[in-house]
Amino acid sequence: MAETLLWVLPLVPTVTALLMLTTRDRRILSAIDVGGSAVLLALTLVLAREVAAGGPRALGVLRVDDLGLVFLLLLVVLTLAVSIYTVGWLKQALAVGNMKSELLRSYFALVHAFVATMVVTILADNLGVLWIAMEGTTITSAVLIGYHGHRHGLEAAWKYIIVTTIGISFGLFGTVLIYAAAAAAGLQGGAGALSWSAIMKVAPTLDPGIVRIGFVFVMVGYGTKAGLAPMHLWLPDAHSQAPTPVSALLSGVLIKCALLGIIRFQTIAAAACGRAFPAEVLLVFGLTSVVVATPFILAQHDIKRLLGYHSVEHVGIVALGLGFGGRIGTYAALLHVVNHGITKALAFFAAGKAIARYGSRDMRVIRGLLTVAPVGATLLMLAALSLAGVPPFSIFVSELMVLRAGIGQGHWVAIAIFLAMVVIIFAGLLHHAGSMAFGEPTAAATREPESWSPLLGMMLLAGIMILLGLTIPAPLDGLLRRAMEIIVG
Amino acid sequence: MSPGTVHTIIDDLGALLLFTMILIVAAGQIYRAIYAVAAQSLFIAVAGGVLATATGNVDLWVIAGITLTVKAIVLPWVLHWVVQRMNVRREVEPVIPIGATLALAVVIVVASFQLSASLGPVRQAITGNALPVGIALTLTGVLVMATRKTALTQMVGLFASENGIFFTAMAVTQGMPLIIEIGVILDVILAALVMTIMVLRVRSTVDADIADLDRLRG
Amino acid sequence: MIGGERPLGLVLLEMALLVLLGPLVTGTIQKMKARLQCRRGAGVLQPYYDLIKLLRKGTVQADTASGFFRSIPVLVLAATVTAGALVPVVRVGPTTFPLGDALMLLGLLALARFLTAVGALDAGGAFGGMGASREMTIAPLVEPVLMMVVFSTALTAGTTELGALAAHRGTSWIVAWRAADFLGFAAMLVLLPAETGRIPVDNPDTHLELTMLHEGMLLEHSGPGLGCMLLASHTRQIVTLGLVAALFFPAGPADAAGALGLLLGAGAFAVKVLVLATYLALVESSYAKLRLFRVPQYLGVGFVCALVALALRIL
Repeated sequence: MAETLLWVLPLVPTVTALLMLTTRDRRILSAIDVGGSAVLLALTLVLAREVAAGGPRALGVLRVDDLGLVFLLLLVVLTLAVSIYTVGWLKQALAVGNMKSELLRSYFALVHAFVATMVVTILADNLGVLWIAMEGTTITSAVLIGYHGHRHGLEAAWKYIIVTTIGISFGLFGTVLIYAAAAAAGLQGGAGALSWSAIMKVAPTLDPGIVRIGFVFVMVGYGTKAGLAPMHLWLPDAHSQAPTPVSALLSGVLIKCALLGIIRFQTIAAAACGRAFPAEVLLVFGLTSVVVATPFILAQHDIKRLLGYHSVEHVGIVALGLGFGGRIGTYAALLHVVNHGITKALAFFAAGKAIARYGSRDMRVIRGLLTVAPVGATLLMLAALSLAGVPPFSIFVSELMVLRAGIGQGHWVAIAIFLAMVVIIFAGLLHHAGSMAFGEPTAAATREPESWSPLLGMMLLAGIMILLGLTIPAPLDGLLRRAMEIIVG
Repeated sequence: MSPGTVHTIIDDLGALLLFTMILIVAAGQIYRAIYAVAAQSLFIAVAGGVLATATGNVDLWVIAGITLTVKAIVLPWVLHWVVQRMNVRREVEPVIPIGATLALAVVIVVASFQLSASLGPVRQAITGNALPVGIALTLTGVLVMATRKTALTQMVGLFASENGIFFTAMAVTQGMPLIIEIGVILDVILAALVMTIMVLRVRSTVDADIADLDRLRG
Repeated sequence: MIGGERPLGLVLLEMALLVLLGPLVTGTIQKMKARLQCRRGAGVLQPYYDLIKLLRKGTVQADTASGFFRSIPVLVLAATVTAGALVPVVRVGPTTFPLGDALMLLGLLALARFLTAVGALDAGGAFGGMGASREMTIAPLVEPVLMMVVFSTALTAGTTELGALAAHRGTSWIVAWRAADFLGFAAMLVLLPAETGRIPVDNPDTHLELTMLHEGMLLEHSGPGLGCMLLASHTRQIVTLGLVAALFFPAGPADAAGALGLLLGAGAFAVKVLVLATYLALVESSYAKLRLFRVPQYLGVGFVCALVALALRIL
């Protein structure tokens, strides 16, 4: 049963994408959209139960284990939320002229193709298939980023595709090196030597020098896709210029998929050349990301760029968690992946509604949101508070755990820098969010009532966010623990 | 074919590849870069064929054939067509002076040789100095992508980089599994297509070359 | 290792041969260019007639030139001809007496270039000054590359003495070329127009100030002096071609003794020079002269090729 699900799961969004091409009616398209996402979610939950009962399953080049499940669940939940949100958002975007109705079906088809490539990335056992799917996500998302068709969008899409393709070439090079090391260690040539599970079995016998060099290349390569500094230059542009639902998917899931790629290689490297080396590399990149993102967050005017830089910072925190290592650090990193995904998507949704209402992305124009759109403003404030790391929201929990892990391992300098940056960002973010929500509404605000579907999507995410902040439910906790075991070994 | 002969032939092809790489970096006009990368893909295909005869690995024949048709003929032709029909700027505009780029290319070549020395255990005896050449090609392709403003030259850099990766894979493991290689080439084709479409789109909507777009900052 | 030794007599014979045949090579290149341009062109022996004409004319010297100026043509010719003695022509192999190696050859050619420039400056004319400064801009890019190419080929032979180097490379050529040889040869092909003063670096047919490098420096000479300078440039050309032949295809017929061996060797040399001369003629007819500030980029390609060739040898 689980094995069939393995190849059905990538098929579902593909079929949905193809179905999209058959009609032009906006309502039918949205219905297929939500329906497809719901089916995907349901199947994933079934798969999760199977894996929880019986352990990892594999079928050819695809394999699902608890680590992959964490990311997969994040992906399908966000896909559903995005589908619900798009129903209302699209109506408004069409009215304003940001989206053209004749291009709608290709938009929806591309979004689901994008989701399909991400599913394959998460489920891939074969490192080569992982790379191919990653490049597939680049291609589909590049077209989506430039979808509005105006100048800045095209510029962002171009920068995105060039920088990520450069980065991913490094990633391919690193993959080739690991493959060479595995083949030299005696694994069967052909697909066998590229299988992650097979490599993990012989990992201690791999040549450490080669794996070291390969891992560095992979860090640079997949790190570019993940948005780690200093390869993050494409991220603020791409995430801000894309249509809002696409931004949510990009920031919420895509960069996490790249992180999964890094984690897979990290486990190989840890087994082959000791835990210390990959941990150090991750620490360096993580700290750099956090430090580099901070000044840009403070000086930002564009709300979506602000959220983009925030993603850079949080990816850095995940890398820090993985770098600190140990049981707590890894658990914290995985929890942060989930938390940040949900919260960032919520933030993008709320920002998207605010932008639509005010007709501008500039935060100086968006003022007095609480008066004109109370529910939306509340959700925006909640998301901003959560991103800043305020209890009782989810991000606070995971950030605290990362901190604990760092103290436990004794990385005092890293902890000090991390704390300083987090405090600065907290202040900056609160200032931005507060000035947007409170105060007198500016003239640009439209006073129409809030549409229900975006609110529904947002409240769904907000609910999960608050829940995870208060407590981590037992099934999720068990899943995270098992995933951590896979990494820590 | 004796291993010694194969070793020599691949060595010589490696030198020719390095020469085409230098031509790509030093190209002042897009046409020269396109022809150089086409020649490079041709040499890669030949190398693949030679190694295939030597080791009897059928997959390599397929890869060599695909490389020849796609990267030596079709993709350069597409780029050529775009340059001719779409009135794209023909001068290559480097971000740093060409002399500096050439110097960086030399540094990369030397560094690749050093790097491949430390990767000794995985190197196949039969392929001679293919590994350092492959690494140098990959890194130089990335250098070209990063230091050129013209969109089409960046695509040429992408092709060169993928050539280098293929050559490296050939050098260490007689090529990756067939399905992976095909997937990689497909990805490159799709990426090139998307990029071409973007270039044309920018041309038609904004009426500027993609190199002129630089408003997003900060 | 093939070839024998080259006694003094043979060396002097080769030197004379180079000097005598130099103008013929120039004439051949001119003729080929003319044919490619659909003209009939002057005869192949035209440079000889020019030299003889110049020898019969009187000398005119600028007032501002010093006495040194009069000796420049002779010195330049002497340096170039001596360089010619170092190139193995009819037979490969070391000389029986210590003569000099490839570095000495490059040094002599550099000396000749330096003296030409000094002479141009000495005469005090504007064209001379400009030509000299341009030539000296090109020179530092050309000469190190030549040396690197020599080194990259000399590394395997263990000697820089041209005769011994050529003998070491033996009769095999392209199929036995190592990877580094391809790149070294490519570098030499890039440098040949620069060293011989041809398009795309310099235009040997023009006397317009904007396009002159070498010609600019010759403007102040006249009569026999000018004849010596022209002969020196012909000899320089054939010496460079001989250098390329010695480094990259020293193949000659197997060592045959006596006059037959000499004739065969001379014939092989003539064929090699002819091939390279055709290459020069084709390049001259296919490209336009580069603007001066683009020449370093062009030579940069040669530089990188030579550097990579050297790196391939060492690493």
